Amino acid sequence: MTADIIFEPLNFRHLSVKNRIFRSNISGRFDYYNGVGTQARINWEEKFARGGVGAIISSHVPISIRGRILPNYAIIDDDDKIPFWRKLGDAVHQYDCKYIMQLSHGGRQRDIAGVENSFNKGLSSTNSTDSFHGLLSQAMTGAEVKMVIQQFADAARRAREAGLDGIELHACNGYLINQFLSSGINDRRDEYGGSLENRARFLLDIMKAVRREVGDDFHFQVKISAVDHNNALIFWEKKGNTLAESIQVCKWVEAAGADALHISYGSTFPHPWNPPGGFPIEHAARTYGGMIASGTYAFRNFMLFRYRPLRPIFNFLWNRTKPDQVEGINADEAQAVKQNVSIPVLVTGGFQTASYIRKCISEGYCDGVAIARPLVANNDLVKIYASGKDLPDKPCTYCNKCAIHAIADPLGCYELSRYDGDYDRMMKEIMTVFTPA
Amino acid sequence: MKESEPQTPVENAERRRVKIVLLIILVVLIVLAAFLYWKFNPNRPVDYAEIQEHFKYGSIGSEPANGIPYWIFKVLPEMFPEKLPGQGLASLGLIQEPGRDLPVGFSKRRVIVDRVGLNCGVCHTGTVRDAPNSQPRVIVGMPANRLELENYIRFLSACALDPRFTTDNVMTAIEARTRLGPIERFIYRAAVPLTREALIEQGNRLAFINSRPDWGPGRVDTFNPYKALQFHWSMEHDDSIGTSDYPSVWNQQPREGMQLHWDGNNTSVDERNKSAALGAGVTPATIDLDRLKRIEDWLLAFKAPAYPYSIDAGLAAKGEPIYKQNCASCHDFGAPLVGRVTPIDQIATDAHRLDSYTYTLAVNQNMMYAGYPWRFSHFRKTDGYANMPLDGIWLRAPYLHNGSVPTLRDLVEPPDKRPKDFYRGYDVFDQKNVGFVSNVANEGGKQFFHYDTTLPGNNSGGHVYGTNLSAEEKDALVEYMKKL
Repeated sequence: MTADIIFEPLNFRHLSVKNRIFRSNISGRFDYYNGVGTQARINWEEKFARGGVGAIISSHVPISIRGRILPNYAIIDDDDKIPFWRKLGDAVHQYDCKYIMQLSHGGRQRDIAGVENSFNKGLSSTNSTDSFHGLLSQAMTGAEVKMVIQQFADAARRAREAGLDGIELHACNGYLINQFLSSGINDRRDEYGGSLENRARFLLDIMKAVRREVGDDFHFQVKISAVDHNNALIFWEKKGNTLAESIQVCKWVEAAGADALHISYGSTFPHPWNPPGGFPIEHAARTYGGMIASGTYAFRNFMLFRYRPLRPIFNFLWNRTKPDQVEGINADEAQAVKQNVSIPVLVTGGFQTASYIRKCISEGYCDGVAIARPLVANNDLVKIYASGKDLPDKPCTYCNKCAIHAIADPLGCYELSRYDGDYDRMMKEIMTVFTPA
Repeated sequence: MKESEPQTPVENAERRRVKIVLLIILVVLIVLAAFLYWKFNPNRPVDYAEIQEHFKYGSIGSEPANGIPYWIFKVLPEMFPEKLPGQGLASLGLIQEPGRDLPVGFSKRRVIVDRVGLNCGVCHTGTVRDAPNSQPRVIVGMPANRLELENYIRFLSACALDPRFTTDNVMTAIEARTRLGPIERFIYRAAVPLTREALIEQGNRLAFINSRPDWGPGRVDTFNPYKALQFHWSMEHDDSIGTSDYPSVWNQQPREGMQLHWDGNNTSVDERNKSAALGAGVTPATIDLDRLKRIEDWLLAFKAPAYPYSIDAGLAAKGEPIYKQNCASCHDFGAPLVGRVTPIDQIATDAHRLDSYTYTLAVNQNMMYAGYPWRFSHFRKTDGYANMPLDGIWLRAPYLHNGSVPTLRDLVEPPDKRPKDFYRGYDVFDQKNVGFVSNVANEGGKQFFHYDTTLPGNNSGGHVYGTNLSAEEKDALVEYMKKL
């Protein structure tokens, strides 16, 4: 029997991961409101380490309170957070699992900014309001740009001090760095706006600052949206960056010293293409209420979700451009990137079938896959693969209920059919995150 | 409660948006209101730059209170042709000029919908033909010699009382002629029954005219309908007859201060004008003073047209001293008695018109326009008939206040030599006798009005000045009077 590529180590320049399955970024409101991590966060991450993934790419870890997307996310804005992250790192390391912290700043895309941010707007490349929720935006001044760059660098240093295995810059899905990169969002006229080179300057400046802080020997990867498709939902928006532009950005990122790339899709989150799958509008009707005060279009959206006769309007817009493909939706884009860089390329987007993952890796589409929702459904997905199964018995249905509930409820799999319709069993399973295993 | 709770940026943005949305709604409402105002603007009359056009077709404000919705006005002659003596409203002596939508004397004003009302021109524009085969010449300012106002009123009443005057029928007739917009259709559906009721009401108030001798063409009972319509008096116990000729309206400047109206009941040109406007259908609230003033100012110096036919200069020269001797002291501008009332026992013409104007009416007329600076104050009861200036006298036949003498030549005959009956309504000019040809009973199917001087109010006696002149002198006098 030939060696299973899934279980071959992936060797980055400064990091070796035991297999090719990465837990992709998915968060959950498990922590204290002020961003101090809790045991629940550790329990959560431990589930996946125990399940056999090679590495966990953390949740969206805000580098500042102003840059968070939801309260109750553990953050890395201060040295006083280092002990928690060290404790978390230690917990996952028990399972020979690596932990890569995703350094994040939501920019204007703050779903619920929290009471600390009630009277400020999201810092961004633009003053233009987000087109989906109507989240308000404030174009950063030069001084603010410098400040945020330093916040990223400081956060990276803290990640290394916490003994974590690497960092990832969240430069996609419509968060702050993507807001600079995207021609659909960035309307600046200074050196951070206009040409692709200028729009990429913010990302590259952060990389320089990070490298200055953590040195050249700390694993450092960047998550990029291969295509912005900024007008997938709101059709009058500009389309944003193309694949070719993103490939150019990836080349610059490689040249700036990145150890790996992580390919995703879209300049908003959620995006009709990401996470690929359904939009559980009836669940959105239950969870979106907490966002009503966040944006100027949020009440409109809530009505669209809440009232049945209005739902077709949203469904039409949401499904207008959506492809049928779910698993490996970004594989072609990852391959295009991979052909243009020499560092390893990870890709996310619906991966769940072992044989398909093998095929993607062995045929040069990517070097590893980052999985979130199928792992939320089956924490031990890697062990299932190891047992020879191609697909879990109760696979992820890509319903996206987990993502829709994430803004209000404990993160977990809310697909009742996976629990044979037993709601109590589902709740029990979801609540296990609060109980050390 | 603390009021200065700070607003979050989202709340501020939403407030701004609410304001913008409200502003947009406001703008839309304003635009809509402006459109509706433009479309159904109350009091938007059709105006005419040329003053004679304004006189004939312009509005003086009769439409808001007494106007008939335009399309109803247009379809009535088509729906009820049998109630007219001939083809269309022209068969009632209304002057229909070629290419004009409405007859002379009818104005149009938008009061929610276009309405048609009367103006000065209806009673003070006439026609003259040189010969039976000539085209009529429309002459502004002369008495409306062919207008059968009484029959027009009767026509409207008869239409309104006809069981076919239903909303559906009228709407069908209207929609056969034009495409109404939805709002206009809605308004019209409401307007048809209201118009019908108003016309029936008008007919009821004016029912008394049917118990008096017919007005015929060129005549009107000025003050009895005034009693009924303006003051809502019951006419049950009033059997007076005020039927008289329409006057000419030229040259008003020198008439100021004269005793105006046939019986000289008012010495103010302005009051006389406003009073006449009431007769056309304006009310103190709806009178359009600016547009009326335009006419009044113009009429101050608007002169009667000169006699267009040949005048025997020699004969006229002979007639001039006769005129000066027998007529001028009462009828020339500047003469001592012109514009003064000659007592009824001296003038001895038919007294009905004088008697129909009562003290009570004068007193009540002086209450009109109460609250306005132009409140009436000049109406008086008199004891005779006023001596009129004779400008344009050739166009003012038949003569005497009640139009009982067809020509000037007849007028200088003693009463018992004057025609006992004749026909009115024919507009071919009698150049020999000066007046309209009065012995033609009909023309082209049109039956002219048979004037019987023996009927109450129609007496042709009195005013015997010049009647004892010789025939030659009379001819000379009449020849001279063509020049007046």
